[in-house]
Amino acid sequence: MTEPRSPGMSSMPQPAPVHTDATSPAVEMDPVEYTLRKRLPRKLPKRRNDVYVNMKTDFRAQLARCKKLLEGGGHREICVHGLGLAINRAINIALQLQASSQGALQLAANTSTVELVDDLEPEDPDEAGEPMTRTRNNSAIHIKVFYPDPQ
Amino acid sequence: PPPPPQAPPPAPKLGREGFKKVCRSEEEAPCPFPGLASGVLEMRVKEGSKIRNLMGFAMARMQGEGLVGGGGGGLRQVVFTGSGRAVTKTITCAEIMKRNVGALHQITKLQYRAVKEVWESGGGGGGGGGGEEEGAAGEGGASEMTVHRTVPSVSILLSKDPLDPQEPGYQPPEAVSALWGEGEREGIGHAPPRKRPLGPLGPLGPLGPSPYAGSPHCKRVCLGEGGSVHPPH
Repeated sequence: MTEPRSPGMSSMPQPAPVHTDATSPAVEMDPVEYTLRKRLPRKLPKRRNDVYVNMKTDFRAQLARCKKLLEGGGHREICVHGLGLAINRAINIALQLQASSQGALQLAANTSTVELVDDLEPEDPDEAGEPMTRTRNNSAIHIKVFYPDPQ
Repeated sequence: PPPPPQAPPPAPKLGREGFKKVCRSEEEAPCPFPGLASGVLEMRVKEGSKIRNLMGFAMARMQGEGLVGGGGGGLRQVVFTGSGRAVTKTITCAEIMKRNVGALHQITKLQYRAVKEVWESGGGGGGGGGGEEEGAAGEGGASEMTVHRTVPSVSILLSKDPLDPQEPGYQPPEAVSALWGEGEREGIGHAPPRKRPLGPLGPLGPLGPSPYAGSPHCKRVCLGEGGSVHPPH
């Protein structure tokens, strides 16, 4: 946590306008550089049959995990969650499960908005920059994949 | 129409230098809301659509600005649809509208949609192409490639009038807090807010002890484009 991740610029002396051509438009530079740190999303429900899909784990591994829950794990329903970019993958997993079940599985999707918090930490402690936080919203999807009850 | 002269693409390396997507068309799919009146406003969200344009239009229609004798208060229903990389944006649009209009009933439907893409290799595309060229790229002349893909798509119906609660994917108005509130109660015992043993996405398999744990990642790295939306065959 102590080492700021260097985004290439941090080692350079700060403003250093090396060649400012008279022709180039005055570029508005941030007076202080910040490191953007994304906090984790707030705590989430985690039952045995909740699957949170991400973009780092291999797609097939996540699909296999869901299959295992439904087939071997004895669950009659699982809930696949995806946030932001992972929405696409969550939908993909749910549709794959449905397709490979020969119509036995049904999907019920809900959407929501999740509030996320970013921390902005000043790169250079000597500068007057204050640590800041910023909140933003991202969309999420929650897909129930289930065997419908025979009626 | 005759098939394109080029050989069928052996899963082209999308995003490779020199190839440019020139056309993308969705093939017709049945409407996921069978009982819907024909006059419902359908917002087709595309990858490049601007949310403010979409919402400016849709909100005005739902709030009934500029409509004469339209039953007062604008349209009763709207459908947002989008596929592939526009899925997230589609959901965001629906979420914004729910927040702004309020008291909307929702049904979300998921399906695969067939998409036809035409890719073109322009010979001198990117500028200063350093690496080796792909065999498929013709020298000098532009060659064309047609790719058929299936991509996930989402359709969201928002309605001021009640919808069938038994329909899969139904969400009553103001369901968001309930959805997460429920989880909060469940999570209270074992998940203190600031330090969790695992990342939010559960055990991370081959990545070892959660890379999320100590270091919230800074900028999002460029995530693979195109590849992620392929359903594996």
